[in-house]
Amino acid sequence: MIIVIDGINQHLFTDILDEMYQLRARVFGDRLGWEVNIENGRERDAFDDLHPAHVVSINDDGDVVGCMRLLQTTGPHMMADVFNAILDGEPPIRSAQVWEATRFCVDTKKLGRGRGKNSISYVTSEVMIGSFEYAMQAGVLDSIAVIDPVMNRVLQRSGNAPYDYLGTAKPMGKVVAMAAMMDCSEERIAGIRAYAGIEHDVFLSEDEALALFARSKSPLPANQDHKPLTDLERYFVEQISASTTEDERMATLKLIETLTDTFSPEQKVALLGTPRAFAHEV
Amino acid sequence: MKLIDLAALDQDEKSTADIINAVCHELGFDYASYATMNTAGGDVQGYANYPDEWKIHYGSHGYHKFDPTIYTSMLSIAPVDWGRFQKDEKFNAVFRDAHDFGITSRGLTVPVRGPYGECGLLNVTRDCSDAEWDKYKRYVMGDLQMAAVNAHDTVMQSGVLSRALYLPSLSTREKEILQWVAEGKSQQDIGDILSISHRTVEVHMRSGREKLGALTTPQAIGRAIGLGLITPG
Repeated sequence: MIIVIDGINQHLFTDILDEMYQLRARVFGDRLGWEVNIENGRERDAFDDLHPAHVVSINDDGDVVGCMRLLQTTGPHMMADVFNAILDGEPPIRSAQVWEATRFCVDTKKLGRGRGKNSISYVTSEVMIGSFEYAMQAGVLDSIAVIDPVMNRVLQRSGNAPYDYLGTAKPMGKVVAMAAMMDCSEERIAGIRAYAGIEHDVFLSEDEALALFARSKSPLPANQDHKPLTDLERYFVEQISASTTEDERMATLKLIETLTDTFSPEQKVALLGTPRAFAHEV
Repeated sequence: MKLIDLAALDQDEKSTADIINAVCHELGFDYASYATMNTAGGDVQGYANYPDEWKIHYGSHGYHKFDPTIYTSMLSIAPVDWGRFQKDEKFNAVFRDAHDFGITSRGLTVPVRGPYGECGLLNVTRDCSDAEWDKYKRYVMGDLQMAAVNAHDTVMQSGVLSRALYLPSLSTREKEILQWVAEGKSQQDIGDILSISHRTVEVHMRSGREKLGALTTPQAIGRAIGLGLITPG
């Protein structure tokens, strides 16, 4: 199932995003050998700081198994600033009705072959349906996806063949990268749905996504006895939720550390570990 | 060194106010506004066709300093339905007052991100039922996206100096396709000539039109010829 995480709701989904960045590190760093920036086993770049929309697939076990990142082509995006080699020196497309899809990947370790629910093909289709439906609602007509030839073949075989490619494929790490063009249309979505046998609404609500994700994680240590938050605890949870950069988050965590005397050890562990658990209380 | 003809860029350029009014008249919204932020000073600049009493009330209460339709919508790449702000205290503070001025809280914001990372916001409101809103929204969203980028580019490119510095960078494909249109070829013909799908032709044409700030293909052809990017057919 799919949750779209954007700049507005990202504070609710920091743990899901963290798992997504780990998946991206395994795929783009380890498997595909792209020159990506990996820190602490997480792959993140400057475009993640521009509040893109992340289309994230969570399986029935609550694991992040696929994702894709969407950006407007009117503003900074990868075809313009990073993958311009693919365009052979040509300026990029710029249109309010064309979005760019990058960092499209699925977890090939957790997913198998075939076409069942836990297959590469199913999750690929699910991410595609989610992103095309999200794009259509936004009035977007076409998308440009930076993908590798393996993903290209998966798309071609799953009722979702790109209708064209921009520029030319270029070597990138162990594989080549190419810019595939796909229409965001009812016809394409119907084709993917028919192939994958997905008839249901693929989107999770925010609460459903959090509940599903929590399924695979150990029981939350946070606030087990449901004591109401003190003003100070509430303040820290708000600060962490509102932080948009790692620096801001670390500053808050450091402040919690320095106020050790004010908190019981349990409170401290809970605050440092899982601010998300309190999110609904502030 | 290229010679840029300012007159060619200046063909009946629509002002942002014109675009805002057209959004209401042609797409059927009650009110529309465009806002962008001066990143240095944090000033909000914009145009709105709300009643003057509401504009004064909004400004004098400093709503532009925290209105989530501005500050929160900037964080999304997709249009933001104000339904998402239902539980937002700041939103409710602004729109409780708006209600007294006859302005509905049913609306949406189309965020536009520009090439320098700047952000512009087109806000529209329409007082109607849930069912009508959902249907209507889907119908006009594409046009709203175009209007938003048009309003944003108009503001960003206003001023003679920035115009002089601004020569749209069209790709070879975009120029080639516009050149064939100038020669009188149809979209299907062009696809055949260049051995690409008509959908690809359409995407490049749309991109070319937007880069030239044109609403229609004939307007784009006119501008491209004026700028010397293509030759008359």
